[in-house]
Amino acid sequence: MLALAIHEPTANWIAAKWLLWIGLYLILGIFVPWAMTRAWAHQHHSTMQPRLKELFQHGELGLVGLMLAIAVIWDLQKSQYSSHTIALGSVFLAMTGIMAGSVWIESYCRRSTGTRFTPERAWRDSRSLALLVFSLAIVSEILLDRFARVMAQ
Amino acid sequence: MNASAAAPALAKEPRRTVAMRLADPAVMLAYVSFLFGLLLAFFPLSFPRMIVQNWQNARLTPLMILFTVSLNLGLYLRVAHQRASKPGIVASACLGSVPVFVLAALNFVLQATITHALAGNISNAPAQVDEEILAQTYFALFAAIFAPFLLIRLAQQFQKTDS
Repeated sequence: MLALAIHEPTANWIAAKWLLWIGLYLILGIFVPWAMTRAWAHQHHSTMQPRLKELFQHGELGLVGLMLAIAVIWDLQKSQYSSHTIALGSVFLAMTGIMAGSVWIESYCRRSTGTRFTPERAWRDSRSLALLVFSLAIVSEILLDRFARVMAQ
Repeated sequence: MNASAAAPALAKEPRRTVAMRLADPAVMLAYVSFLFGLLLAFFPLSFPRMIVQNWQNARLTPLMILFTVSLNLGLYLRVAHQRASKPGIVASACLGSVPVFVLAALNFVLQATITHALAGNISNAPAQVDEEILAQTYFALFAAIFAPFLLIRLAQQFQKTDS
């Protein structure tokens, strides 16, 4: 029973493409921009050491969320799921992606027009909505991975 | 004189109805989503089997209704408590009813999907149907939690525009 419980996840994790997918987005979407600012500061002998919160304080994470949503919508469209499932997934991903992107847009509009702007709030909202898009995207990729294996049998 | 001046200050201001922002349910929904993903990753056979069996026994939709309504109401009350505002009746009614409509409607969509899948000549139709049930259950769960808050947010936006 215990052996079955251990075997069940390990057999699927070995071939899990979605783990690589998560890693790519986390590294290229968040870690690389942060590392580049550090590299720039080092190169220009600056004392600047921005944290993630400062780097994405204008709601840029919302924009990352929108890009992520577009990528997963594209994967869903290419899948062999029924049209209903593809439509449902695409609509929810698009909705959350747009909402995440709107945090960055609102932040830009407020700064451009001199309307009251709170970086703390923009960071918090963009972080929450990007987390939502990210979670939705991960589960969608896991489901797509499972479905591709079923169809390949 | 002092007492009359202090009276308005001591009089309690009426508490405003809580204003929801979409970022409020976003974190909770993300956690639910991650939990679903983790269960799929760690129990790739038993968790989907449990969902499919519950769906076949017609227990899945009532369970999801119970889960989403309690989660939504709990979240709404928590936000109201944190912001020292009072919960609105219309919003509470929306949180209690919208998940029921959403889940019922999406159950019909799932029925249509399964009928369509079984009607076709597919070699591994049962396995495909199971995956469709799993995917649509996840999307339905997502919609049932998020849709009421989206409606409340839109209503608040319209109220702000009108006033």
